[in-house]
Amino acid sequence: MLRSTMVALAVFAGSALPAAARWSFVGNDGEAVALDETPVRIIASQDAAAGLIPLGIRPVGIYADSAVADAKVLQGLDLSGIEIIGQSWGEVDIEKAAALEPDPIIGEHRPLDNSWSGGDDVVAALSPLAPLTGPIQGYSILTLIEDYEALAQSLGADLSASDVAADQAEFEAALSKLKTAVAANRDLTALAVWAGTDALYVAATEGSSELMNFASWGLNLIDPEVAEDRGYWETLSWENADQYQPDPILVDNRSEATMETALAQRTWTLMKAAEAGRATDWPAFWLRNFAAYVSELDKLTVAIHAAGANLAP
Amino acid sequence: MSEGVGNRAKKTARLTSGLLLLGLTLAVIAMLSLATGARAIPLENVWTALVDFDPNATEHRIIWDLRMPRTVVGLMVGAALGLAGAVLQGATRNPLADPSILGIHAGASLAVVLGVAVLGMTQLSTYAWMAFAGAGAAMLVVYSVASLGREGATPVKLALAGAAITAVLHSIINAILLTSPRTLDEIRFWQVGSLSGRPMDIALQVAPFLTVGMILAFATARLLDGLSMGDDVARALGQRIGLARGMAGLAAVILAGASTAAAGPIAFVGLTVPHVARAITGTGYRWILPYSMLLAPILLLGADVLGRVIAPPGEVQVGIVTAFLGAPFFIALVRRRKLASP
Repeated sequence: MLRSTMVALAVFAGSALPAAARWSFVGNDGEAVALDETPVRIIASQDAAAGLIPLGIRPVGIYADSAVADAKVLQGLDLSGIEIIGQSWGEVDIEKAAALEPDPIIGEHRPLDNSWSGGDDVVAALSPLAPLTGPIQGYSILTLIEDYEALAQSLGADLSASDVAADQAEFEAALSKLKTAVAANRDLTALAVWAGTDALYVAATEGSSELMNFASWGLNLIDPEVAEDRGYWETLSWENADQYQPDPILVDNRSEATMETALAQRTWTLMKAAEAGRATDWPAFWLRNFAAYVSELDKLTVAIHAAGANLAP
Repeated sequence: MSEGVGNRAKKTARLTSGLLLLGLTLAVIAMLSLATGARAIPLENVWTALVDFDPNATEHRIIWDLRMPRTVVGLMVGAALGLAGAVLQGATRNPLADPSILGIHAGASLAVVLGVAVLGMTQLSTYAWMAFAGAGAAMLVVYSVASLGREGATPVKLALAGAAITAVLHSIINAILLTSPRTLDEIRFWQVGSLSGRPMDIALQVAPFLTVGMILAFATARLLDGLSMGDDVARALGQRIGLARGMAGLAAVILAGASTAAAGPIAFVGLTVPHVARAITGTGYRWILPYSMLLAPILLLGADVLGRVIAPPGEVQVGIVTAFLGAPFFIALVRRRKLASP
């Protein structure tokens, strides 16, 4: 299983690590990062920043995969005072990064292709400055959030702070509403898609952590037939847009243009749910904290109720 | 004397039947385009969809919503590109002239890139007008630059100005795309040139422009024949060469601009087809123009149909197929015979 078994220890004793190490961090790949003092100056990838900031850990620098304004994962976060040292995948400003004098670099590890946030070029540029560590992307956003909590705690965050606790409570409430909706509408089948002008791309559940979460909460997700060399997506010509008849349809919302593109295709409405306007947002690959998860769960709950109401005679 | 007239009559008969044959071929290709796609639709259902449309039948909707607009846009864009290439080659007396060499494609591309990067456009239908405006602006600049100096816009100066402006525009395009990956992401499909995903609205929007462009292009046929003898001879024959070039240029901009608006910058069709036409018809724009106008959509639609079937379940965009077919074809043409000067 990819499930991260990362362990974070504030104090480490009696190990292979240098005795002086007062902060260390171990990922489930076994790579341990040890520092003499608890780090305060952190450079984080956009995903790690979105995981840590809501928990009270503010990095000094962020490297993003795109322009910050377009980075869905950073939306709604207070980035004031944080230096942006990269706004394109694979690119980072080394001089700015060095000037920030980071203690560690925190990114995310992708076990599928054994890569870190930002790609090899970014790793090569940043790792001489400070050790690189971080959680592993796995089969659940909740696990990822837990990993960030452990990491944040080791960095001195107070997880019992009122706003952190409030975020979690809101999430629990939203989740229980979703579960109720799903339980009341067992017959629904949802489908997660990305729409391009060239084709409709249908997502396999196990390619995305949040879809795995949805499935674990009881939502029936259609699993497409993915050709062997095509990763986690089935490519459907717009002529075959009615291959599946899901309800509701979840549309990748990393960019607003995706939904616009879907709606602009004449055969989008070959799916009955699309014709009835029951397409909702799929928070594809970008959820990293409870606050963001809540609003996305709420949208899904509404969509499931709407689809269910349609199903009822 | 009577023999000459007889020969000419024979040539006219031969070329006329050639045109009919091309028209027939085009009709067949258009039918193929309606019948081919990712979804297997039996021929009789294609026919029923055409003659007895049922809005509730999925297959009928696919024919009318996807394949029909695509075919119509392909026919229009093909015809426009062929004509634009022939007119440009004639007006500039440059066998390599085509919309991409005279800055039209670069202008359209820059306008679309700006639309995406600055105005935040994301949808195909909004690109069309930007592309059209950009094509016109670029051609105007190229023409003004070429007109500087005593002789006015001579063929050589037009080609040089076109190349220079194209280089400038491309450097700006690249500067924007390199610094804005989001823009690159948005327009990389558009930039290749494609017929897919175009709604009928786009065809209807550009149709009036194409009609005007075609009428203008055919009106210049006689002027192009004059120009092809060289500026001095044309002038001696009493032609106003500035007017001739202006009209031809306007026709080309309207045609190429509108086609780029509808399908993106498609290379090689406008360049190659007039040479094929000239190889069949000999000199004389009275024939080169209609032949180009029929040959180009045969090539374009044929390439599009091919692109739909060679890489299932995906498609290869028509711009890639035409470049892939067009380049070696052009080389073969060059090797086979000395290209007739336009």
